[in-house]
This record gives sequence, C-alpha cells and structure tokens, in this order.
Amino acid sequence: MNAMEMSNEGYLLLLHVNESWRELGREELEKYVTQNHAWLEHLMTSGKAKGGQALARSGAIVSGKNGRSVTDGPFAESKEVVGGYLLLNVETFEEAVAIAKGCPTLAHGGKVEVRPLTNECLSTKRLEELKREEELATA
Amino acid sequence: MNTSKTQNGFMLLFVGMDWHKGLSPEQTQKISEDWMNWFKGLMAEGKAVAGHPLGFEGKSVSGKNRAVTDGPFAEAKEAIGGYFMLDVATMDEAVEIARQCPGLPFGAKVEVRPVLGECPLKPENTVEEALVGAK
Repeated sequence: MNAMEMSNEGYLLLLHVNESWRELGREELEKYVTQNHAWLEHLMTSGKAKGGQALARSGAIVSGKNGRSVTDGPFAESKEVVGGYLLLNVETFEEAVAIAKGCPTLAHGGKVEVRPLTNECLSTKRLEELKREEELATA
Repeated sequence: MNTSKTQNGFMLLFVGMDWHKGLSPEQTQKISEDWMNWFKGLMAEGKAVAGHPLGFEGKSVSGKNRAVTDGPFAEAKEAIGGYFMLDVATMDEAVEIARQCPGLPFGAKVEVRPVLGECPLKPENTVEEALVGAK
C-alpha cells in the first residue's frame, strides 16, 4: 500500500481498548485520564479531528440470514473491543498514523486502527476494475 | 433484550469484508446497491446521521513503542468494513435496523454499540466512572 495515498474523505481511528486501566491506582488513573483529555482537546482545537465519541462496552452483535441471531453484550472484560473512534481531517495516511502514535491508550495495552474513509463501495470499485480489464482484453 | 435508553445514539460497525466472496459480480453489485439504498433511506428518515465505508488498507498502532503494522488485515471476516451512526432512542430500535443489513445473509455481522456522552473522557467524569466501576 502506498503510505502517502491521499484520502479526500479523511481517516477514521478506531480505538481498540481492553480493561487494563481498571488496575491503575487513583493517581495513575488521573494522569491517564488527563493525558487522554489533553490529546483529544488538542486534536479538536487544532481541527485535526472533526468528531469522535466513546462507545459503551455493552451492545449487541447481529448476524445470520435476516439477522436471526442477536447476541447481547456486554462484552467479556478480557476481550478487546472498539472503545471509541475519531474522525480525522487530515490528508495523508502518514499524518493519520502520526496522530495515532500519540494516543495515550497505547501505553495501556490499547491499539489504534487507522483506516481511510471512502465514498465508494469497495465491491463496486472492484467490479469496475474487472469490467475495465475485460474491455482491455477484448479491445 | 436491553431496552435502556441513550441520549447519544448508536453506532453500527459492519464486521466482515469478505461477504461478497463466492458471489457473482452482478450479485455483489446488487447487494452493494441495496446497502447504499438502505443507508440513504435511513438518512432520509433521520434515523442515520452519518456513515462511511472504510478502505480495506489500513495500519495498526500498538504497544508502548508505538509499533506500526501494515494492513490489509489477516482476517477479512473480522475486519470492520464500515459504520453508520444512528439517531434512535433505544437499543431495540438500533438492533431492528441492524437486522435489515443486506450483508447478513452472506456472513457479515453488525456490532451495535451505544454511544457515550459527547466528551466522555473529561477528567472529572471518567475518574468518577472508573472508580464506580472498580468497586
């Protein structure tokens, strides 16, 4: 993948978290929370982030034909879940990754997934590629 | 079923980027269109307020040394392919919407998650919540 690839739509950071912060003492926790707040505040005020929210640990997973299976949350404490997201208003993958590296949850077992937002459906795009290949082959 | 109310809406995370595997290009296109029309309908009704497909490429940052790992992801069936933000009041309603996802018959999964307050990481809030949670 081209790391410098541009995304006009921006990037999404998915913050994967576990529950290891629950083991922190009051002082450490306060420090962690303050770091998180400062990181978010900086991204919002500088305009690098245009939105973001935290997700509750509860939830449901819907799967199967016609959604016949609905599994209720909350998710197991040991399990890593997406605990929040941030929409970034930056132009390059590298800038998005640089921001992800500053996430304070990384020091506590967290993981940040950096994904380009697209406006076109990937399968539709693939179909167009296949059609183009066919055209070239028959030309 | 959890019917608790939330002021902040719900996020649908679409899990699985390989649902079109084994389908013909025409079937794939049909389902993609159904998916897009489903989203447009929810937007028109005011039930969805935002949404995006995600590119398959990506990177993960993890660990104290901030290691960067390249995508694409090892398990396409576990990768998140997109999201909707829903402005509905109950979990039941959000799950009902999730059950309409056109990818479900082909193995896609939808994670339905309540969104917490606008700035949940405010120091005063989170410390209190964390301490309550730790008891």
